[in-house]
Amino acid sequence: MDKFLTMSALRRVVQLTAFVFFVYGAMIFTTFYTGDKLTQALPALSCAYDMSGGDFCTLIPLQHQMDHRVSTVFTQGADLMGAIMPTLITVATVAVLILVLNKAFCGWLCPLGFFQETLGMIGTKLGLTQVISLSRETVLKIRPIKWFIFLFFVLIFPILTGIGLLGHEWGSPFCSICPSRMMTTLATGDMSQVYISQAGWGYTLLSLIADLMFGLMIALALFVRQPFCRICPILPMQTLFKKIGLLRLVKNGSSHCEGCGNCIKACPMDIYEIQEVAANDNITHADCTLCGRCIEFCPHDGVMNFKYGPLTIHSSSNQGFKKRIKIDKWWKG
Amino acid sequence: MKKTFLSLLLSVTLWGYGEGTVFWAPKPSDTGEKANAKHGGHGMGETNMFTAIGLEGNGSATLRGPDLSLISLPMEGDTLTLPKSSMGGYYALVFKQHTAEQINTAIRYLSMQGRPVKISPTRLIALPKADLEILPHPLHREHDRYTASKAYRFLITFRGKALSSAPIILETRNHSSLTSISDQNGIVEFTLPNDFHAVRIGKSDNKPSEFLIQTHYHDTEALYVTTFSMPYHPNPNDYWQSQRLGAGAIVLGFLGGLFIYRRTKSKGVKRG
Repeated sequence: MDKFLTMSALRRVVQLTAFVFFVYGAMIFTTFYTGDKLTQALPALSCAYDMSGGDFCTLIPLQHQMDHRVSTVFTQGADLMGAIMPTLITVATVAVLILVLNKAFCGWLCPLGFFQETLGMIGTKLGLTQVISLSRETVLKIRPIKWFIFLFFVLIFPILTGIGLLGHEWGSPFCSICPSRMMTTLATGDMSQVYISQAGWGYTLLSLIADLMFGLMIALALFVRQPFCRICPILPMQTLFKKIGLLRLVKNGSSHCEGCGNCIKACPMDIYEIQEVAANDNITHADCTLCGRCIEFCPHDGVMNFKYGPLTIHSSSNQGFKKRIKIDKWWKG
Repeated sequence: MKKTFLSLLLSVTLWGYGEGTVFWAPKPSDTGEKANAKHGGHGMGETNMFTAIGLEGNGSATLRGPDLSLISLPMEGDTLTLPKSSMGGYYALVFKQHTAEQINTAIRYLSMQGRPVKISPTRLIALPKADLEILPHPLHREHDRYTASKAYRFLITFRGKALSSAPIILETRNHSSLTSISDQNGIVEFTLPNDFHAVRIGKSDNKPSEFLIQTHYHDTEALYVTTFSMPYHPNPNDYWQSQRLGAGAIVLGFLGGLFIYRRTKSKGVKRG
């Protein structure tokens, strides 16, 4: 039994529990109504379209606020503080949540992240050859996409909609293309979100992107680790506050790290920067999901660490590395 | 003159609909552009004037707020105007009328914009508002709306207890009618009929219609009659959204992913 007691095993248990809560939580813990959801500004892709969910993602209120409130500064000359106050409250809620768990919302709690990881496990068991790491060039090309989506699909398009320069469908364009909307609703037996709209070119375009991307994500997740997470606009949102996060990835590699590259191979987001020399530095990258795999697969004692405030809560060790490699071999057969 | 004409127009439109009962409906002058909110579920554009249709004699109206506070509303004949409120959320508009033989109640839920309160809508809905009551189970969610072709459940209660075997009638202003009986838990389920005509493509281009659910219960003291009325909208998936095409696009995306898999395999990308 001891051989299964690893951080990955703990993470799977937490992810499964979080999945149940965020997809079906309204049946037990909260209620059907949005006003009763846990935080209403979760920095993870838990969808409000899922009526049974326990909470919903911060991008939904943000888009609505841009569309209905922030835009009034331009259209009605509304008082700036009044117009941005709801946004400030949402952002402050995110900041508090990031302070507590930092980017672990992605690696430990996000239902869409867990769904993709589960597909990856299925792909491995189906015998599909897995892409261990994308090339550094590919990673660098993909990284700006999440910022583009965040800036345009979460902030700019909704504001332009509120101003009247874009049609209503651009009021919450990220929700319209988000794969979590489909995954969570389908998980509750609701098929209503699978459609192509013919209500206008904007509706058609957004619904087409949503469906194609959902299908593509499922196929890619079978052999590439966490394909959608790489372009998820929650990452930029979290990055704004990652400096204040108490939980962080700290590398102390000046004396022991030999640059073996195990950490990069282990990283599901292909963050090449974690291999670089660091002396007791916070290396929580903008793309990091704090999954902790780099700690597990680091063969050196005390080089990679999870720290919570001043406390070291988990460190890499040669013993842990050997154990993790053994489990990995067993899992891959 | 205008008021008389609009009342006459509403009476003709609703001929046969909810006959013999009292129910809330938006005031006729507000059933057009205002009620046809561009962005449903926010309380935006919704009317603030309601008429107790079928009212004969006098009755009283109250408004239960999202914070569960209760205020009496003065009626002008069969019509009332809602007061302005800074609280956002669901409100329950309740009409009561006691006659010698019959006790009539009519309930309608409204969504208004404003500062949210920290009280769950479940408490507002569960709070007894009349002896005989039709409770939405649940009420449609904030930012949502009652939609045709979707199934909704309702709980029938009498003095706070579930009422089984109660006869229930659902009627729509588009001339559909359904009947059912509450089960042993007092629950009844209806799929709102897809009975819209000349539906225009696009969510915001269609005016909502109204549905009305009524039930009655006769005990030793009196006959209790209650109604629950709400607007409902065409279902986009019945008209301008194709679920088959949606499923097809997902399959296409999936095949695209498999194509990438084959391509990366042949290019010899690093693998485990």
